[in-house]
Parts: sequence; structure tokens; C-alpha cells
Amino acid sequence: MSENFVTPGQHRNLRACMVCSIVMTQNRFLREGCPNCEEFLHLQGSMDAIIDCTSQVFEGLITLADPSKSWVAKWQRLDGYVRGVYATKVAGQLPDEIVAAIEDEGRIRYIPRDGTETDAD
Amino acid sequence: MSTSNLLSAQFDDSEEDDDFNPQPADLSDAEDAGGNDDEDADNQIKRDAARQKSKGQVSDDEDGVNRDDEDEEGEGEDTAPRDEDEEEDEEEEDEEDEEITGHRRKRRRERRNQFLDVEAEVDEDEDEVDDDEDENELGANFIADTHPDDLADLPAGGETDDRRHRELDRRREMEASLDAEKQAEILRQRYANRNRSSRGIGDSVVVPKRLLLPGVDDPSIWAVRCKEGKEREAVFSIMKRIEERLGTKDELAITSAFERGGTQSTMKGFIYVEAQRQADIMTALDGLMNVYPRTKMMLVEIKEMPDLLRVTKTPSLEPGAYVRLKRPPKYAGDLAQVIDVTDTGLELRIRYVPRLDYGLHEDTNAPTDAFGKRKRPMAGPRPPQRLFSEVEAKKRHAKYLQGRPDTKTWNYMGDEYVNGYCEKEVKVQTLITTDVNPTLEEVTRFASGAEDGTENLDLNALAASLKASTANASYLPGDIIEVYEGEQKGVVGKTVSVQGDIVTMAVSEGALKDQTIEVPTKGLRKRFREGDHVKVIGGSRFRDEVGMVVKIVEDRVTLLSDQGNTEITVFSKDLREASDSGGAGSLGKYDLFDLVQLDPSTVACIVKVDRESLVVLDQNAQVRTVMPSQISNKLEKRKFAVATDRNGSEIRLDDVVKEHGGEARSGKIIHIHRAFLFCRSTTSTENAGVFVTRTASVATVSAKGGRIAPTNVPDLNTMNPAMKRNPQGAGSMPPPKTTFTRDRSIGQTVTIRKGPYKGLLGIVKETTDDNARVELHTKNKTVNVPKDALGFKDKVSGQSIDPNSRGGAGGRGGFTSRGRGGLGGATPAAWDGGRTPMAATGVERTPAWGTSRTPAGGANGGRTPAWKSGGDGGRTPGWADGSRTVNPYDGSRTAYGAGNRTPAWSSGAKTPAYGLSDGFAAGSKTPGYGGGDSWGSKTPAYQPQQHQSESSWQNQPASNGWSSNAYDAPTPGANASAPTPAAMNAPTPGAYSAPTPAPYNAPTPAAAPTPAPGWGGGWGAPTPQAMDAPTPGAQQGYYAAPTPGAYGVPETPAANWQDDGPRYVD
Repeated sequence: MSENFVTPGQHRNLRACMVCSIVMTQNRFLREGCPNCEEFLHLQGSMDAIIDCTSQVFEGLITLADPSKSWVAKWQRLDGYVRGVYATKVAGQLPDEIVAAIEDEGRIRYIPRDGTETDAD
Repeated sequence: MSTSNLLSAQFDDSEEDDDFNPQPADLSDAEDAGGNDDEDADNQIKRDAARQKSKGQVSDDEDGVNRDDEDEEGEGEDTAPRDEDEEEDEEEEDEEDEEITGHRRKRRRERRNQFLDVEAEVDEDEDEVDDDEDENELGANFIADTHPDDLADLPAGGETDDRRHRELDRRREMEASLDAEKQAEILRQRYANRNRSSRGIGDSVVVPKRLLLPGVDDPSIWAVRCKEGKEREAVFSIMKRIEERLGTKDELAITSAFERGGTQSTMKGFIYVEAQRQADIMTALDGLMNVYPRTKMMLVEIKEMPDLLRVTKTPSLEPGAYVRLKRPPKYAGDLAQVIDVTDTGLELRIRYVPRLDYGLHEDTNAPTDAFGKRKRPMAGPRPPQRLFSEVEAKKRHAKYLQGRPDTKTWNYMGDEYVNGYCEKEVKVQTLITTDVNPTLEEVTRFASGAEDGTENLDLNALAASLKASTANASYLPGDIIEVYEGEQKGVVGKTVSVQGDIVTMAVSEGALKDQTIEVPTKGLRKRFREGDHVKVIGGSRFRDEVGMVVKIVEDRVTLLSDQGNTEITVFSKDLREASDSGGAGSLGKYDLFDLVQLDPSTVACIVKVDRESLVVLDQNAQVRTVMPSQISNKLEKRKFAVATDRNGSEIRLDDVVKEHGGEARSGKIIHIHRAFLFCRSTTSTENAGVFVTRTASVATVSAKGGRIAPTNVPDLNTMNPAMKRNPQGAGSMPPPKTTFTRDRSIGQTVTIRKGPYKGLLGIVKETTDDNARVELHTKNKTVNVPKDALGFKDKVSGQSIDPNSRGGAGGRGGFTSRGRGGLGGATPAAWDGGRTPMAATGVERTPAWGTSRTPAGGANGGRTPAWKSGGDGGRTPGWADGSRTVNPYDGSRTAYGAGNRTPAWSSGAKTPAYGLSDGFAAGSKTPGYGGGDSWGSKTPAYQPQQHQSESSWQNQPASNGWSSNAYDAPTPGANASAPTPAAMNAPTPGAYSAPTPAPYNAPTPAAAPTPAPGWGGGWGAPTPQAMDAPTPGAQQGYYAAPTPGAYGVPETPAANWQDDGPRYVD
């Protein structure tokens, strides 16, 4: 049941999705893909995609118990995502071609989660 | 109507729609003025195209589908088109409805797409024209469709109609199945957005953050204490608990929990939990490891909630920037330069100076473990940083080396080396990217990388690396600061206090004047004005430079440095108002003007201290720039180093010397090293005024502390006995010099008898000819006092003493014994006396000599006392030494008086100088030194008498200058020695008279032996025996007998004297 739990020993293998900022182990990304962004990131089974689209450098973990009610989730634009552990800041940006693909295919505007966005608003 | 006919007719119709109902077509054509077949055909083509276009215009999403429909239409029955049209209309209406009632965003985007599609717009214009025609024709068709004939026909063909419909359906299905992929694509395009928007992620229009600000309805956030460093674990533990209890009755009521830990964070030690009620948090976190919900929980105010989640962008690394390596341990802390950054910014290509030993310390016999792998080598001293050398690598590790020499790119032990640097792809987390602070020395290692050997130091990159470091941006209370960012931009004030990243400032200008506000350091910078005197305090490579602000642009301040008079530009955060002028002038342990050893044969004086390098002037007058590491050691200043200048004068530190010849520079000596002088001139600015010269090429200008150089030079003239003996012919004797040895008054306890310090007691520390520096006992002070104002005291007894007389160690002993010899009263007098004549120089002595000489010619006995009495009291005893020694014997032998006096004299004067200049025989000299002044000198005076005057006789002629004097003293003695005349006389008469008296003076020979033993009878004895004895004996029986008797008397005093000796000794 506690699928999102990661033992401290595995913390060094954690990666954060650059799109939705969910934090999971690298293996889980490989096995299951990103639960929120899989349809356009296609991380499942693709190590290259995982390396491109997730980051080992992230800060500020958030445990999201109820994405629909939480203000934190709303503020972090996590409402509508699955329950899980997210990061407040994910260093790194998606490669340009992937950003282009997402915005075409997924009709999503990519908001970088590395802190550049705050300057925009 | 048979079905075949119908079919054929309909097929025809389908082929030529317009011909199906020629009349209405004609009618319609009539409106257009001209309706022949050609036109119809044209119209038909146009219309088809227009239809398609109009469809596309209505809904481009459905373009493909509609086109399919159209195709079918064309083949359908004449009613079919109408139905289809109706259907289409319905569909369109539906869609329009949908569009109106549906998602606004979608509609908006469609419009946007419409506008974005430029071609579509152009088409639209054409379409309008076409549409008109189209409508006309459609209208015609509608009229035709609703033609009563057709209506009449239709019921008849109902069966066929149905079949055809089914056929149509079949065809549709077939086509649909054939084009499934295309269909799917279309459908996805049509519905994907709806799905997306329904899920709420990736809204194409991002809701601005300000609309997301928390409200009262949102759950509250509480800060809960947590063990520092365990924040992440705590968050995962909460996640675990949430999932475990999900769906149970214990389901956690919190909505989220987060942490903002990190070593640098100010929010470490807390986790933040979002929940509607505080009690929910208590139950949720109860019993969780590392979280302490029972300690005071803090509610975060609503307006502060966004701050909790604020994310600041980490400055991205640019190629050229500097970073430090964290691992491997061999390179930990080493500087590396970024060459390239990947798109994600998470991986970098860096280059660094490798530390390789090329297998030098590799143990080939190292044991291998079970896996056949060599054990990790023990951590030893890591090799120094050196650029990669393929030559070195080839020596031992040729098999690990691949590459081509022409590209300078090598692959060695799995690493890539380009131009000597190791290049590597690393992850950003293995690097230290903040507060790198590269030093100049490190950076220069990367500077010489250019192909052509030119140094291309990327100062911009360096500046970026340095600017990024905020650790050095420190504010101290009192600093004038300015807010340049944020809401309070432009506010100027003075720092009141600093706490972490928050500076409290007292505003000094503007609307907020006299208020105290708190501002984060991030938006602050120091404010300076042109003309301010500032010091570079950190970050920059110009650290510790001091200068005057000349220009300020934004936060870049240009200042003119005091030391180098160069303009340097630094960030204002690296500056501070400076009260001191000039640079600190020290780099580590090296200070300005220090003498340092560069190599075993080279020393140099530091003439400039930069932040990381030193400029030195070496002994060969070369100016070099060296790193502190190039200096082998610092030479301590030797305070007592002495050298001689070209004149032979002694020169010491701090003496002012002038170059002889050359540039005739003059300066104060700051270092003496072997034959080199490092001098500092105040008139020159070159090399900070320091110049180097040789000792042999300088002349003293002034010596420190009034040491007068010339007097310290021994006057060789005075040392030359030949010149001394005959200064200018005969007669005048130079006054005796004062001592050449160390001034005996140094170290003496003295009282000051005159002047402002009169009466004070002190110790003499230094002397010149006339002055003494006396360290006072009372004050901790050393004063200059004229020597004649000093009274010397015995250290122990406090008695007044004469430092000079004390000087002669032997002499003192003599005094003492004499003092005991019953002349005690004379002793003090002797001190003064001894001194006085000395101070009085030789004036009085000269006559003394004269007198002493005179009596030699005349009456000695009378003179001596007269002289003695004539002398003043003080002096007399001094002379008395001489005189008195004579005295005891005076009466007995006046003749010897002169002789006695000579040594007495020398004793009184006790001047070895005299002894020297006398050129007297060893005999007279000996007492002067060895015997001391008292009796020793006298003894030899007798000595010549005693052991006969072979020496006297022989020496006297030799001592030319003093021959007269010598005669004075010894002559009588010599003369007194009866043997001489006797010897002369004896043989003479003997030779002539011997035969004659011999027969007569038979008994007299008895007398002959008498004198013989008196003389020592070696040769004397036989002679008289043989010839003389009888003669004198006979002759002297009357005359000669008394004569020898008279002569014999002198012998007697000798005996007496010997008797006296013990007496005196007593």
C-alpha cells in the first residue's frame, strides 16, 4: 500500500519529474513511468527519457495527501495530480525538443520547476 | 421505372447533378445570365471546391469526415444529398451549440487557430464569393430537391432508397475501417483537449500565482519541529502513514506536509503540515520518528504561506565558470572550469588540472582480492597538480594510453586529456558551484590554455564566479547601504544590525526617514560616494587594495588604488570604507621591506605586496614578481649586522649611506646581507624607494645614534711605533692617547653630577668620546650625559671609583699590596693622582721627564724630594710612587736615584705606552706590564744593577731616543758596577804594572780575589791572578782599596735592597 514510501537508503536514487515534480526512485520511473505525465513523457522503460526528463537535484519535499483540497497543491499547481511525494524545486529544464513535443502533443504549457517561473509572475 | 433504369438514371444523375434538374438549373443560370453546359460544368467544379472549403471553414476538425460524406453524397440518390445536407446542417448546428455551450477555452483556441492559419483567411475571401454562388446553386438544388416531381417519385422508390442507405452505411463502414488510423488521429485531436482539461493538469492557460494565493477557506499550515537533517525522512514517513491508513477509519486528515530543509536553509529543523485543524496534525504525526508535534507548534500566517514555498532559481552555470570538485577524493577541492553545460543543466563538461603519478607509486605486486580486482590503493599523498604529459604516461603506462599527438587529445586510464587538462562529464551534484572563490593562483593554471601560448584569462567568467559568492557580502553596523531591489528600492540608510540574511537599517533619506526597516541582504548593496576612501575586503582578487572611489556604475565601483595608482573595478559589496591608508602590506608572513631568501644564493627585499604575489628586488637589482610559494624563507633582520663602507667605516642598520659613484643614491640601510646593502631612499618611489648596492661602494653620511664614524676608525698613525717615537724629530712627545679598548665606563654605575639629571644614579650603556648614555635607575629612561658630569660609583659599595684605573687588572693588584705596605694614606691619593696627570696630559709629565733626565746629569738626590714637594698634593703621591720608592734608598745612593726614578716614573704613569715608545729593553718594559706600577717596575731597575748591565749596556745604545735617559738610570747603575772600571782599569794597570808591583805586592793578591768574587769570577778570577792581582792589590793597598770600597758600597745597597724587598712586601 505504501507504494510512495522510499526508505532512507534509497534516497540517493530519487529523481523528480521536471514536469509535475513528483519524486520517485529511478527504478520506479523506469518500471511505471511518471503517473502524471506518462502520456507525453513516455518514461516507462526508457532510461534516456528518464535522464532527460527527471532530475536528481531537487529540494523541498511535499507529501501530498489530498491534492484536491490542499492549498499547497494548488499553489504548486499539483492539483489534479496523483497522491504522492513532490518537490518544491526541481533543478534542470527539459530539453527544448521535449518541451516542443509536450506543448504540441499534450497541449500543456511547460512550467519549469527550477525557480525561473517566479520571476515571470 | 425499373430499378436498373432508376439506377442508371440515378447514376447519371450522380454524374451530372445539374442535369438532373435542368430547368431549375436553367433558372438559376438565368440569373447569372448564361446557363450553358460548359458553365454548368464549371460551376459544378467550383461548387465542389467551395463546398469543401466551406466545410473546412466551418469545422476544420471534421474536414476529413465531411469530405468522406461528400463523396458518398455524390454517389447517393438525389434525396440522399439533401438528407446528408440536412444531417450536416444538424451536425453543424450541434457543433455550434456545443461550441457555444462548451468549453470557452477550446473555443478561444479555435479562434486563435483560425487567426493563426493565414491561408485560411485568404481563402475565406475567395470563399465569400464562392459561397454566394454556392448558396445560389444550393438554393437551386433545394428547390430542385423539393421539386414536386421528385417528391412524387420518392415514395415509389422507397425500397431502393432503404437499400441504398444501407449500402451507403456499408461503404462508410468500409471506409472507416480502412482509415482507422486516420480516424483515430482525428478523434484524438478532437477530444484530447477535453480529456486534458477535465483532468486539470497542464492547463493551456496558466492561472497566475496571484490568483492562487491562499484564502481563509484553505487549510492552515503549521510548522512542526523536526530533527535537523531528517526532514526528508519525516516527509516520507508521513507519506507512508497516509498510505497505510488510507481507507481505514484512522485516515489522516492532513492534506499535505512539506519540508524546506537543506544545510543552508533557514527553515531547517521544521516540517510544515497542512491541515484544517491542529488536532489532525497531532493525530497524524503522533509517534512519528524525528518529528516533535508536542513541542510548540507554530501556525503560519496566511500571508506568509507563499513564502514557505518560494523557490529561487539557482544561478545556472555558464561555460567558462569555475567550480570545485567534490569527488573523487583525489581531486576534492580542486578548481575546475566548465566547458559545456547540457540542456538540463544537470550535467557539465568540465576540465581540470590532473593529479597523476603515471604509475610511479604503483605496486605491481599488490595483492589482488578474491574478485581478481586490485585492491584500492591506500590513500597516500596525492600527486601535485600538473598538466598531462604523454611522455610521462608512455614511460610506464603506454598500454593505457591512446590518442594522437597531433590533436593533443589523449585517452589515458579511461579519462580524456585535452591540451594537458583532464576533461570529464560530471553531474552537477558532484560539484561545488557556490562560493567557489577561485584564487588567482588557481585560475592562472587555466589561463595558459590557448593554442598559441597567449594567456587568455576569462575575467568575465572569473567575475561571475566571484560575484555569485555571497558569503563575502558582509555588512557591518555603520555601513551605508542602499536597497536596489524589491519594493523598497532606492531606500538609503545606515546598517544598524545584521542577523543572518536580514539587515536592519535606519533609513536616512526619503519618505521613510528615521524609520528602521528590515531588508534581506539580497537586495542590498553598499553605497559609496566618489572620493570615498575605501578598501577592498573580499571576493575580488584586489583584496586589501585601498583607494579612492572615482566612479560608480550600478554596483560596480572603480577606485584608484593608493599603492599602484591603478584603476580597479570591483563590486560595491567587496568594499568597505577605509580609515587606514595604504595597503596592509603583508601577504601571509611576508611584509613590505622584508628580506627573503629566494634560493640559496639569492636574497631579495620585498618592495610590493599584492594580493597573491610579491614584487621583490633581488641582490642583483632585478625586480621580480614571485608567489609566496617561491620564497624559501624569510630572513630575520639582524640588528647587529655590521659592515664597512668604502672608507673602512663601520656601517650598521639604519645608517644613512650614499653611493659613491653610480647614481649617488643615498638611503637608510634596511638590510645588510653579506656584501649587499638594501637601502631605502625617501626621495625615490621606484621599488618603494628600495635599492640594492654593495658595501664597498657606499660612504657613510651619518651613523645612527651619533656614532661618529671617523673616531671609530683606528688611527693607524698612532699605532705605528716608528711614527710615534719620532713624531716630528726629537723632543715633543705626543700626549698619551686615551684608551683604545672598550670604554671601561660602559656598564659602570654612575651618578650624574651636573645638568638636569643631576644626582640621579644610572648605568652607562653606550659612550662616545664625550658623552655617555646613562640608563637611569629611577626612570626607565636612557639619557645622554656629558662624560665629565659622571661620577663613577662602585656597584657594591657605592664608593666613588675611577673606572680607568680599575681597568688595569694587574695594576690594581699592585696597588693593593702597596697600600698594605704602610702607604695606605697614599692610596686614595694615588687614585686621584694617577688620574690627574693623565687627564692633564703629558704637559706636566714632560718636565717630569726632563727633570728626571736632568738629575741624571746633575744631583738627583736633591731633585727628587724637591720635585716631590713641588708637586701638588694630589699629584705628588702619584709621583710619590716613583719618588718614594726611591726614598728608602735615597740617602744611601743618590746616584741610583735617577735610575730608580725611571721605573718609578713608568710606574706612576703606568703607561705601557711609554714602555712601548721607550723602546727600552725588555727589562724596563717588563715591569711596566707585568710587575705593575708599584714595585715590579722598581725591581728591574735594580736588576740591571744586580746582574750586571750586559743588557743595560747593550740596550742603551739601541734605545736612541732615550739614550740620555737610559744613561740616567742605568748609567749610574752601570757605572756603579765597579767591575767596569775595574775591568778596564784592572787589566790596564795590570798589563803594564803587573810585573812591576807583582813582586812588591805579594800579600795584596789576597785582595785581588776579593773583588773577583764580587764580580762573579768566571773570567775575572784568573786574570788578576795571572797578572793584575798583585798590582792593584799592591797599589790599592792605599788608593785602590778605598775606591773599590767606594764602589763596593753600591753593591751593598743591592743587598740592602734585597733586604728592603721583604720589608716592603710586608
